[in-house]
Amino acid sequence: MLIKSYVLRRIIKAVFTIFLITSLVFFIVRLMPGNPVDIYISQLMIEESMSYTQALDQAAALFQLDFNKPVVLQYVEYLGNLLQGNLGQSFRSKGTPAADIIFKYLPWTLFCVGSGLVFSFVIGLLLGMVAGFKRNSPLDIGISSLAALIGAIPNYLIAIMFIVVMGSVLNILPFAKIRGSLSPGVQPEFSLNFVQDVLFHAWVPILIYVLSTVGNWVLLMKSSTTSTLEEDFVTVARARGLKERRILTQYVGRNAMLPLITQLAISIGFVVAGSFAIETLFVYQGVGALLLQSIQARDYPVVQGIVLIITVTVVTANLLVDLLYSRLDPRIRVR
Amino acid sequence: MTAPITLSIKNLTVTYKAARGLVRAVRDVSFDLHRGECIALIGESGSGKTTLGLSLVRLHVRAANIAAGSLIYHPKQGEPYDVLKLSHEHLRRFRWKECAMVFQGAQNAMNPLLTIGTQFLDTASDHDWHNPREVAQRGMELLRLVQLDPKRVWESYPHQLSGGMRQRVLIALGLLLQPQILILDEPTTALDILTQRAIIDVLRDLRKQLDFSMILVSHDLSLAAELADRVATMYAGKLVEMAKVDDAFYRARHPYTLGLVKSVPTISAKIEDLRSIGGSPPDLIQLPPGCKFHPRCTFATERCRQTEPPVEVVDALHEVMCHEWRNVINPVTV
Amino acid sequence: MLHNLQNSLRTISRNPVGLIGLIGLVFFILMSFVGPYLIPFNDEPRMDRIYQSPSWQHIMGTDHLGRDNAVQIVHGGREVMIVAFTAGLISLVIATLVGGLSAFLGGRFDTVAMTLADVVLTVPRIIVLTMIAGLIKFTNPLALAPLIGMLTWPTLARGIRAQILSLRERDYVEASRVLGMSTAHIVFVEMLPNMMGYILTGLILAMTAAIYEQIVLIFLGLVPLSGTNWGLMLNFAYNRGAIFQKDSVYYILAPTLAIVLFQLTMVSFARALEEIFNPRLRTQA
Repeated sequence: MLIKSYVLRRIIKAVFTIFLITSLVFFIVRLMPGNPVDIYISQLMIEESMSYTQALDQAAALFQLDFNKPVVLQYVEYLGNLLQGNLGQSFRSKGTPAADIIFKYLPWTLFCVGSGLVFSFVIGLLLGMVAGFKRNSPLDIGISSLAALIGAIPNYLIAIMFIVVMGSVLNILPFAKIRGSLSPGVQPEFSLNFVQDVLFHAWVPILIYVLSTVGNWVLLMKSSTTSTLEEDFVTVARARGLKERRILTQYVGRNAMLPLITQLAISIGFVVAGSFAIETLFVYQGVGALLLQSIQARDYPVVQGIVLIITVTVVTANLLVDLLYSRLDPRIRVR
Repeated sequence: MTAPITLSIKNLTVTYKAARGLVRAVRDVSFDLHRGECIALIGESGSGKTTLGLSLVRLHVRAANIAAGSLIYHPKQGEPYDVLKLSHEHLRRFRWKECAMVFQGAQNAMNPLLTIGTQFLDTASDHDWHNPREVAQRGMELLRLVQLDPKRVWESYPHQLSGGMRQRVLIALGLLLQPQILILDEPTTALDILTQRAIIDVLRDLRKQLDFSMILVSHDLSLAAELADRVATMYAGKLVEMAKVDDAFYRARHPYTLGLVKSVPTISAKIEDLRSIGGSPPDLIQLPPGCKFHPRCTFATERCRQTEPPVEVVDALHEVMCHEWRNVINPVTV
Repeated sequence: MLHNLQNSLRTISRNPVGLIGLIGLVFFILMSFVGPYLIPFNDEPRMDRIYQSPSWQHIMGTDHLGRDNAVQIVHGGREVMIVAFTAGLISLVIATLVGGLSAFLGGRFDTVAMTLADVVLTVPRIIVLTMIAGLIKFTNPLALAPLIGMLTWPTLARGIRAQILSLRERDYVEASRVLGMSTAHIVFVEMLPNMMGYILTGLILAMTAAIYEQIVLIFLGLVPLSGTNWGLMLNFAYNRGAIFQKDSVYYILAPTLAIVLFQLTMVSFARALEEIFNPRLRTQA
């Protein structure tokens, strides 16, 4: 009963957040001075010497808006379209729905960002726990300083340094070939060749995601482990003669992990945001790179769609993390 | 006191390093705990009683160090051994199976993420008791003994129980493996008076039904009076008096024990008899010369300021570390 | 106040990481705000010395137009720092207002403000910034500051709110209330000093976020490419294919190192501040 109400509340909150952001995006695109619709219309009038009505019609078709109706109705219609998965038409590739383009790019980002996040979380958790247990030992000092060092460097700079050092200085990695998400000629299919090629292109971006986030996980887990070790129940667990392995996993580890799970929700957004610069640097064909290309081409339906999809992704991930948290911490379930 | 010895503490000394120097928390303490007996360790905070209790299961803080002494444990079967010389693994097996400890402020003593039942089961399993049904049966029986609703508590998480319930759960858990010794560190502080009462009753009944020895660490003399067979008074890390509970309360021979007794309100005593001990506990890093209690003692003489008193025997079961013990009388009872 | 400052300086000098952070911070600020007056920047292309390696004359080599990289670093910090500081300050002001009002007013205001904070936190900032930067063509990189500031406040606001709520429960605050002290006294004398560490750390962390974001935007060319700043150097070096040409490595390394070192300096300083204002951490260290 209580569990259900917690889940329900979280779902309502997630839907509300998505709704709010969708509306904000709509009003920014439609109503802000210098909004893309107006700009597009004047662009059509100047560049293609259309009349205002012609331009308006074309803009209406692209944005899936009916300008003859009041704004409120347009807004309702826009929401209705969204619910049907209709994000409008792309400007750049005429006649292609924006949703089609985005969903072609999205899996690549989800794959890279997702695996980067998982690796980073697991590695950070383990290293942080080691540092916490061996506090003030040379091992801890080594791990913590390194974590603090790389944790402070922005991800795109890690990427640039990686490319510079591994590519042009040491000449170990062929970045000209690694660029992109697939080698020319390779098609998505269920084959070893395809998987190998995907990994060949993805491992560097994934490594960059891991390097740029693992430091914070390490530091967070270390401080969480340190404070958990001081909890009474750990001392009592020792007094109970529990096996050290059980104390480390069930007693210290599980408890120390909880604050990190909450952070996981926040960091999903960060890593998705990171994909923006990283994908551009590696010419990786994900939504981050697509976003930049679309902005430069002023392809607003696609831009708008990407913002919405990223929002939905982050909100859903947050929701899942929260539900996971409530599974892990019995104290939440009751509240 | 003809019962066989369970634990023999000899010359135990515990020190730990602080920023200002070496803290001598427990100094040269010796006494025997007999089978089925309850000894109360009393004293002000900082007297070393908690450190002593913790060091019996070698759980003193990491900075602390058992500098000298031995803790000879006599198991029900087999040869006696020194707890201080146990290897890591043996020590782990010794803890809880032979000697369990119920902690001060047990509010946070259980893992918040596991149900009470799970924590009974993992304790048993790590001591090679691998029959979950048997463990559950025994565990619930103990929960019933400490007057809890066994089924409900077994499935609860710690946060779903009140402070007094958690304290009783910990006592039940302490007895799960039928240890010979149960150490209770301030088991009733921070609990309301009714819960205190309940816990005292539970402990008294349990001792009648199950055969184990108890070491009760407390500054609460009324608790000691109700449960203990003997009372050991700690001052500045030393055991200054050891007496049967009646002797301690009515014929205390150490001025400090007397002071502690007099500071407890009783129904029969008049309010003007109630007195606190002047001064404050000594600095454990720089102890005064002679008897450590002399700066606060109304009986102190020149000799007390010069030399630390040896252990003197009042009678067979009453020992005291005081030069002036013959002059110490309890005005309440006279 | 002066006594406090002395104390802080003493604590920080005992903390090696913090000391390095403080020295680094002073160095970067002096370099960026005083340096340009001492070392003039010669903008003229010198085709005879393109992409040189470091030498005594050009300690960080030269760029694609034969200009000195080190001199550009000296001139390129000011703008980055002003944007970062302004953005940090704006976010701090919003955060203090929203967080403080949320904590003190509670009720509906609290619910609305915290939901808003959640929503702003949900959408990755850089995506919103990119979208807006694509819509509004900025004429001046400094215009980024308010935009970044308006998107950075939620974390800090939540933190400040939580701090106030927990401080209010502390005994000494309760005591002052019972003693009939005014709200202003409680806020400014009892609570604010206890929150200074948190607020300063929050300000610095907001600044590092602002540095990250403005440089990404400049690097990706979403903000007009004019003037001299580290992001612009990065953009030029990258787009001139510097990372794939061995001889131009120093051109891209120069701004990379400048940004990395500055970020590290800020973060270590923030960590040290945390320790200074959090005695619990101090005794543990």
